Amino acid sequence: MKMSRILAVTKKQFLTIKHDKRTLVLMLLSPVMAMLIFGFAFGTSPKHLQVIIVNQDKGSLAGEYISKIDHEVLSISDSSDVFASKNKITSGDKIAAIIFPSTFSADASPSVAGYSTNKSPIIKPAKGTHIEVFLDTTNQQLSSVVSQAIGQAGQDFAKSKGVKTGISIDVSYAFEKTKDARYIDFFVPGIMAFAITLFTTILTLLAFVGERVTGTFDRLRVTPATEAEIVVGYEIAFGVIAAIQGALILTVALLVYNIMVVGSIALAMLFVILVAIDAQAIGILISSAAKRESQAVQFLPFIIFPIFLLSGIFVAVKSLPLWLQPFSNLLPPTWGIEALRDVMLRGWGLEHLWPHVLVLVGFAIFFTLLAIFSLKRSRNQ
Amino acid sequence: MVTFSKVVKEFDGFKALNHLSFSIDEGGLYGLIGPNGAGKSTAIRIMTGLIKATEGSVDVLGYSPQDAEVRPLVGYMPQEMALYQDLTVRENLEFFGKLYSISKKDLKKRIADLLDFVELSKWDKTIIANLSGGMKHRTSLAVALLSKPRLLVLDEPTVGVDPELRASFWQRFQDMRDDGTTILLTTHYMDEARRCEKIGLINRGRLIAEGTPDGLLELTKTKNLEDAFLSLTRRKKEEK
Repeated sequence: MKMSRILAVTKKQFLTIKHDKRTLVLMLLSPVMAMLIFGFAFGTSPKHLQVIIVNQDKGSLAGEYISKIDHEVLSISDSSDVFASKNKITSGDKIAAIIFPSTFSADASPSVAGYSTNKSPIIKPAKGTHIEVFLDTTNQQLSSVVSQAIGQAGQDFAKSKGVKTGISIDVSYAFEKTKDARYIDFFVPGIMAFAITLFTTILTLLAFVGERVTGTFDRLRVTPATEAEIVVGYEIAFGVIAAIQGALILTVALLVYNIMVVGSIALAMLFVILVAIDAQAIGILISSAAKRESQAVQFLPFIIFPIFLLSGIFVAVKSLPLWLQPFSNLLPPTWGIEALRDVMLRGWGLEHLWPHVLVLVGFAIFFTLLAIFSLKRSRNQ
Repeated sequence: MVTFSKVVKEFDGFKALNHLSFSIDEGGLYGLIGPNGAGKSTAIRIMTGLIKATEGSVDVLGYSPQDAEVRPLVGYMPQEMALYQDLTVRENLEFFGKLYSISKKDLKKRIADLLDFVELSKWDKTIIANLSGGMKHRTSLAVALLSKPRLLVLDEPTVGVDPELRASFWQRFQDMRDDGTTILLTTHYMDEARRCEKIGLINRGRLIAEGTPDGLLELTKTKNLEDAFLSLTRRKKEEK
């Protein structure tokens, strides 16, 4: 081994990077971005989870219980209507409804049952009270935080009032079929959308950069084929590939991990295809910024990290810092993952999920138009 | 048929074409000749509508090169092979044929004729990646001819082609010209440019001379086009 030759190879590599400014910028930006997103996504515990409190208590103790709830963790809105509150849970607007019965104070306190013959009061010990929690368990991560917050408030309340009898929490489930949902049931819909996004973006990106590098793209553009025809042609192909990949992922998830699918598998597939169409349009868009396959690959961290960490695969979007949540909503997989979970765990159909279809189709149209525009733009250069 | 009038093309302030003007008559075999970097490929990319001229005007068969109407009338063979490496010869031809909306029946016949013309009938089911360089070139030519173009634009069609295949290519170009196809080709091989009917000598984005090969030799009192080119380049410098 000769050191001069070894160093020549090393120096050549640094020179390559020096001359390729894009690589240099991407190389320096991607680790910073990855660490920032990791930190924000995993470094904070869920906060501001939306719950409703229905306080029917005729006394004042429920109010004191409520004051013990950590308002940083649970964002509370009040209601007097039990039925309407439960509806908000089953429609996915809030995570839990906490209902205090009218006898909460009375049941929590010792009472005077009567008087003895010597006129001294007969004290009836507190019989113990309860609260009802109507809970959405489709997102295990969030529902467990809500349960913990309610339980902790109960302990703090009992301690402060010297209540010795326990306060029982009667939990009922907004989605009965998923009351025993495991983490993997929550995780698989997320990973499905992520895998499809990743595969499709990489495939399209490399396919389009390949078209440019080999010159076939120029050859395509001198034929009567329009840019729109080329992009839509690709979309159909990758939509079909994504449907096959989605079906395979779902089959493995069902057979190997026995995951829960409460709703329609066909509807889940529709969302997988919509996610794929969005991903391939993004792939085409990015391809216009890359001259070679090696450059194209460097864009991948900018797709993978935000989607991996901000679209709700591991960390629920509602658990992210409030300022970060709008960014999540700009990522098509966020909507795909939410819709897939709603189909697979809540059993929802299009009557609930049409807004998700609209958003994903909207993204698809937007990114497709941008992709077509980026292809057309190169003609005017 | 094709007219370039004072065409300028700038890339980041660099003038790849500098008021380039020339015209090609119908049914001719025109050679745009010049060294590497002279602006030949840029002129072709403008002619085929792949990029736009910064200044000047270009007319191709009565249309602007960017018009959709002109695309079925122009066949283009890029400098690179520009073929789908994982498809067979036939699949490549079928794919591009469909983009020209050629009917299934016509396409089948046209592919058979073209495979015969480029002598690849026996190799039609071979994946492009497994073909020799010469075979790939012939497939690329067949793709350019699929639409029976009125104008055939060939960008350095003989680069990297062995002498035998080069001779066979030139024979084909002359056959096509005889069938009424107008051909524009670029090459930096001065010797083979003698086979063109008319030549435009281009250097640094400018046309420095135009005429028949014999006419240019006579004008420069040289024996071959390479010397003629050097003589004309020198003259231009002296004029400055």
